Amino acid sequence: MNLTYFLFFICIVVCTLIITYWAAKRSVTTNIFYTAAGSLTGFQNGMAIAGDFISAASFLGIVGTIAFSGYDGFLYSIGFLVSYLVVLFLIAEPVHRLGKYSLGDVICSRFPGSSMRLIMAFGAFTISILYMIPQLVASGFLLRLLLDIDYSVSVLVIGSLMTIYVMFGGMIATSWVQIVKTIVLMSGTFLLSLIVLSNYNWNVPAIISDVKERSPLGEYFFHPGHLFDSPIELISLQLALILGTAGLPHILIRLFTVKNTFEVRRSLLSATWIIGTFYLMTLILGLGTIAFLGYEALAATDSTGNLAAPLLAQAVGGDFLLAFISAVAFTTIVAVVAGLVISATTAFSHDIYHMIWKKGKSTEKEQLYAARWTALAIGLLSTVFALRLETMNVTFLVSMTFIVAASSIFPVLLFTIYWKRFNRTGVVAGMFCGLIASLLLLVLGPHIMDTENGLIARDAIIPLYNPGIIAIPIGFLGAFLGAFLSGGQAKKEASYYAFFKKAQTGSRSRSDAS
Amino acid sequence: MEETYEKILREKRRFVIIAITFAFIFYFLLPVSLILFPDTMNRTSFIPGVTWAWVYAFLQIIMIWLLGWLYHLKAKKLDEQTEQMIQEE
Repeated sequence: MNLTYFLFFICIVVCTLIITYWAAKRSVTTNIFYTAAGSLTGFQNGMAIAGDFISAASFLGIVGTIAFSGYDGFLYSIGFLVSYLVVLFLIAEPVHRLGKYSLGDVICSRFPGSSMRLIMAFGAFTISILYMIPQLVASGFLLRLLLDIDYSVSVLVIGSLMTIYVMFGGMIATSWVQIVKTIVLMSGTFLLSLIVLSNYNWNVPAIISDVKERSPLGEYFFHPGHLFDSPIELISLQLALILGTAGLPHILIRLFTVKNTFEVRRSLLSATWIIGTFYLMTLILGLGTIAFLGYEALAATDSTGNLAAPLLAQAVGGDFLLAFISAVAFTTIVAVVAGLVISATTAFSHDIYHMIWKKGKSTEKEQLYAARWTALAIGLLSTVFALRLETMNVTFLVSMTFIVAASSIFPVLLFTIYWKRFNRTGVVAGMFCGLIASLLLLVLGPHIMDTENGLIARDAIIPLYNPGIIAIPIGFLGAFLGAFLSGGQAKKEASYYAFFKKAQTGSRSRSDAS
Repeated sequence: MEETYEKILREKRRFVIIAITFAFIFYFLLPVSLILFPDTMNRTSFIPGVTWAWVYAFLQIIMIWLLGWLYHLKAKKLDEQTEQMIQEE
């Protein structure tokens, strides 16, 4: 690692640790630790949501996918973006009004009881961990490629940083690390896009003609169908993308960090503006990579295309810009995994330890103590897992998370908020049908079952890389049938009405409620 | 009081149902039209050098920003009405 890289890297580590130190001094109550006491503004939270959402897979992966597959890469990003409308219209405000710290709170505001809370906490915890470990593994490979440091060292550094942020700084540190990440990421990609465009004298048609010349797809580069050739895979992926975000616990708990529903809406609107602009810039970067470097040079360095953005940075701005973009990628990774650690921590320490085990009777001090130790344990365990998984390709789990979330947490939340006859059996049935179906389809699918390099060396039983089209209806059907067959709760209409009223128009702000 | 509340809720429900249905149809029509009418989608649109598939993809981003903003305006108005109703109570 040369000096430029090292300086950028140290700069980011020091800045985020200063944020953590500042946050640690303020994280003195559980309300501050879990939700920053609702103190963020809508725009700040929007930046933090974008920081939580745009993973290294999005940043580097989508640039690479656009460079390799053209149109289809861009199609991917649109799905991610549209999913925010589902969150905004259906889930965001009720979740903010009903919950205090976790998704367990949301479910329990309609169906109080330990078993309901346990199921929601289990779902949120599983999804966060399922998402975190592959992110850690991917980041290990990425840093090895970018900075030429050992896989284990990369994973250890990222694992310790995310644990320190959450353990000491709680939600405040996590939020501000994510905000800083968004600023760094947006300015980095903006700068790189400008350099690319200025190199072509702002002549977009010239870039397009260079792309056609230097991609093996030629004229067809701008045509769809190079990544998704099967209609069912395409629709299935789009379905998982549009519904997935509304079931991702680490995104949904961010809605507790602002003080009222006006700010909730502003958070999500800001997030869609930031993420949308970001994806437009990745398009420029993807096209720029092919126009500048050509397909062969990119494929020769890394067949996955993940290095497209860094290589482009090197080509247009030399080693200094490459070091800067690598630092951006590093910040991107730590911000996302920190968000996942706090989401898993809340599910365990608030829902399972405080509400279920201690029956809601532990003191503030005990709760904070438990939360910090939980963050440490989760951080350590995930790091150890990530270290052991070096030889296994688990990166496909990142895209699987959207399917798992869309088929388990999303239907349960949706029915709890909007369906009068929904009941406890429905919650259990929906959550388990969704979780089991999506995981089973993964095991029976071509990611795991593959005659050449799968974990199970035989033909896949369900030949779908994106099984969302089967798993999501199973989750919904499970929730529906569970509630329907166990008789519904028509007689409790009055209590549902009160609940629905609270979910839709409960106007007390968080600062009043706490 | 209960009537005002019902009215606010109805208005919100109507907006959300229309908006979300429109968003879903608009969103899924993109992959569906790519599958069903690949030739039309690959034809150059009214912008020279840009095919309909790209125009539609960019429209999706505009649709998200536009719908989000419309919802924001609507919800702000309804929130004010709710607040007023609670104060009158």
